[in-house]
Amino acid sequence: MQNKINRFLLDFSVLSIFRRGSKNIFIFFVFTLLIFLLSSILFISNSIKSELDTTLNELPDITVQRLQAGRAINMPLSRVDRLLAIEGVKAVIPRVWGYYYFANAGVNFSVVGIDSFEDQYRDLYSKLCDKFDFDRLKKDSGMLVGVGVKKILQNSFYGDYFNFVKPDGGLTKIKIDGVFKGDTKLESNDIILLTSQKAREIFGMNKNEAVDFVVKVANPTEIPNIARKITTLYPDSRVVTKEDLSISYQNLFDYKSGLFLALFVISAFTFFMIIYDKASGISSDEKREIGILKAVGWKIDDILKEKFYEAFILSFASFVTALCLSLFYVYFLNAPLLKNIFIGYSTLKPAFDLPFAFDFQTNAIIFFLTVPIYIAATIIPSWRVASMDADEVMR
Amino acid sequence: MIELKNVTKEFKIGAKDKVTALKDINLHVGKGETVLLKGPSGSGKSTILSLIAALNKPTSGEVIVDGKRVSKLADNFTALFRRENIGFIFQRYNLIPTLSAKENVIVPLIPSNPDPIKLEKRLQELFSSFSLDSKMGVIVKNLSGGEQQRVAIMRSLINNPTIIIADEPTANLDKKLSLEFIEILRKLKSSENSIVIASHDPLFFDLDFIDRQIDIQNGEIQCY
Amino acid sequence: MLLTPEIITILTLDFIFIFFGLIAFVISIKIVKSWDLNSTSQAQYKLEKQSFLVSTIIKYIFIVKLPLFLFFIFTADKLSDIITGAMCGAGVVNSVSFGSSMFFYKILNLYIFGFWLVLNNYDLKKENQPYTKYKFWLYIFGFIFLLTEVYLEIDFFLSLDVSKLVSCCGTLFSAASKSSISFIYNIDKIYFVYIFYAVFLFLLLGFMLKNSIAILLGNISFVFISIISLIMFFGTYIYQLPTHHCPFCMLQKDYYYIGYVLYVTLYIGTFYGVSGAIMSILEKRKEKFYYNVSMIFNTIYTLIISAYPIVYFIKNGVWL
Repeated sequence: MQNKINRFLLDFSVLSIFRRGSKNIFIFFVFTLLIFLLSSILFISNSIKSELDTTLNELPDITVQRLQAGRAINMPLSRVDRLLAIEGVKAVIPRVWGYYYFANAGVNFSVVGIDSFEDQYRDLYSKLCDKFDFDRLKKDSGMLVGVGVKKILQNSFYGDYFNFVKPDGGLTKIKIDGVFKGDTKLESNDIILLTSQKAREIFGMNKNEAVDFVVKVANPTEIPNIARKITTLYPDSRVVTKEDLSISYQNLFDYKSGLFLALFVISAFTFFMIIYDKASGISSDEKREIGILKAVGWKIDDILKEKFYEAFILSFASFVTALCLSLFYVYFLNAPLLKNIFIGYSTLKPAFDLPFAFDFQTNAIIFFLTVPIYIAATIIPSWRVASMDADEVMR
Repeated sequence: MIELKNVTKEFKIGAKDKVTALKDINLHVGKGETVLLKGPSGSGKSTILSLIAALNKPTSGEVIVDGKRVSKLADNFTALFRRENIGFIFQRYNLIPTLSAKENVIVPLIPSNPDPIKLEKRLQELFSSFSLDSKMGVIVKNLSGGEQQRVAIMRSLINNPTIIIADEPTANLDKKLSLEFIEILRKLKSSENSIVIASHDPLFFDLDFIDRQIDIQNGEIQCY
Repeated sequence: MLLTPEIITILTLDFIFIFFGLIAFVISIKIVKSWDLNSTSQAQYKLEKQSFLVSTIIKYIFIVKLPLFLFFIFTADKLSDIITGAMCGAGVVNSVSFGSSMFFYKILNLYIFGFWLVLNNYDLKKENQPYTKYKFWLYIFGFIFLLTEVYLEIDFFLSLDVSKLVSCCGTLFSAASKSSISFIYNIDKIYFVYIFYAVFLFLLLGFMLKNSIAILLGNISFVFISIISLIMFFGTYIYQLPTHHCPFCMLQKDYYYIGYVLYVTLYIGTFYGVSGAIMSILEKRKEKFYYNVSMIFNTIYTLIISAYPIVYFIKNGVWL
């Protein structure tokens, strides 16, 4: 099977595509648009997925909340010691955090209270504590804010401080000590870091309460066991492990992109019909051309090969163009409109950039769902053309 | 060289009706011979040409070229046979209008993926013998009628054919171009080539280099 | 049922294969029944034209199937992230009882469809088209195998369950497991090494003597012994772990995707060997081109796979 690529045939095919310009431009345009949509959706979902993966990795092994009437309420700090007594538990960290609605800009900030370096449960915060002086933060009761927060505050003319409105209507003025940029933008863009004491003050929380506990476990394989023990100890608690979250996120995303893909497959088949139709309609010029080719010694196979080259060049060009367009659209323009499909709450949160996540797998999916389908649609029309009686040209 | 034995060709029209285009034709064209098939349009001249070139198969009878029964060959081999032996000159040139002169001429060789260096040499030879060297890269539809005609002839010669077939070559030409064509044809005649022309153009009727004229009426040979 | 983008992609292409495969199947049956090259009837003329549609469809299926097979393995590997307990594709594939037979059909079809194209190529080179009926018979069986493969594949995707606990490859490829091949774990693995090199030498001998039967049998045995010895012996050197027998993990990045290189060379080598040998028998002359390609790739496979234990021995001074 010596299938050398025939450069002359390739040239001929390219010229052939241009010869039937208007028809092919239409196909190229529709096909590129279709691939563009598909690849943009997959790129966005990939990007958010990789963002979440990073976040999930930093998540605590176990999070414990307290439920009352099915809603999460604050945890009394008195429970810490009994949880620490469970074998295998390395640390229990009470967290003070919550959302602060900034009515002026119509966005939510995540306010996170931190205590000291030793207590930190997330790499990001410990890194920040390293970089910024925690003692200073404590001394002048200031705060660190994410880039997104800083931008929004500036727009509302808060240059170096911010007035929080407490539940009782009083104001708490807090100085901005610094601005940080996290590894993952989705997560840390809207964060305000300050001392737990100040956080309690803003939220109007009791001194001996926390929002939830984070439990660190020495041996990861013990996580399910310990989770079970906690539920037995405090039946009113909801225990969430890192793995639970990871699987449910993964499923959610596969489901969302799967749903989209199912829609895509339907439109791809519609497209299949369009191509089939377009390729079947042979003009008299084209008929005569095939007649000439056959008369001068082209085999059916040669014509089929030429048609295959045409289909491949056209679809592959669409594929590459669409891929470049959607790379630009997703990672440079930040995917306006389409992004919202995946992040329902995006209007409530400060804007974020999609991180660059480009993998072989996604491109293979896009390729397999487009180029072979296009070529398949041209098989029968091409064969019809190629097996036409050659003596037409003589009549 | 070329032999038609008891060839009958019928064309189906619709489901039942058929038209007999050729009736029991026997014809022999020798090596180096130039033959003119004449007769009104619709008499079956073009059908004979398409049978010789194996573009079509006879309903009964045999077509033998160079000892090969081309009427029995499968598509793959009829195409190869044409590629190796036949040079075709069509009515109205039948060039691909948006390709350049050079691209049109190499069309018959494309499937065999020729060696680019040898091909270039052959093209130079051909184009200079037809004094079109300067027009190689020009898109065919921008060439004059006479130039297009020469391109069509070059295309039929690129594969060094042993049989040249011309189907109503002067049908759409003015007198000057027709005479030009006849001069080219005269030069092509050699002891190696057989030439078969189908035409009802009176210009062909008394040419010295045409060895035989065959009159065809209603699918039958009138006089040998 | 999992609705991941990968699965949707594979199912969509399966649908296209079946659709076109069916058209080709119907034409093949007509051709097998009434092909007569000597006839000048319209019916025969039509069949001749339709035979080109069949070969185009088969070419299409084969060309798409080759990369899709690699994509399938890739997908199985990726699914192992989601499916509890599976560490690599082996766990995922074996989470259903017919996983390995599905794989067998997938590989078998790659050989059949590839060989069809070889046969087609020879057939169209001769004026009397001597292999026409053979090749359409071959396709009729090929299509049935294709249907079986697609059926198993759909069933496979339907039975995948995120919440079901599956075995990781460590337990699948061990003497304790009850899988069909586990009995061979009780045989001393050094025998497989002997057999592997013996078959390779047999191939080499067949190649030097240009004996078609020897090359045919040699290549078929080479496929099986290569895979078995890879699981039993050579794989452990790729992983540098005497208990790790998985034929899938070597496809992962941690082992520099060496699995893809090994399987592709093995496929090319044995495919050319088997096709060349069959064609030599049919044509009654030696198909040297096929033999050469086959021998080159089989040798490359043998050299790569032998390098692992040898390098290990040189570095560590002991065998695993």
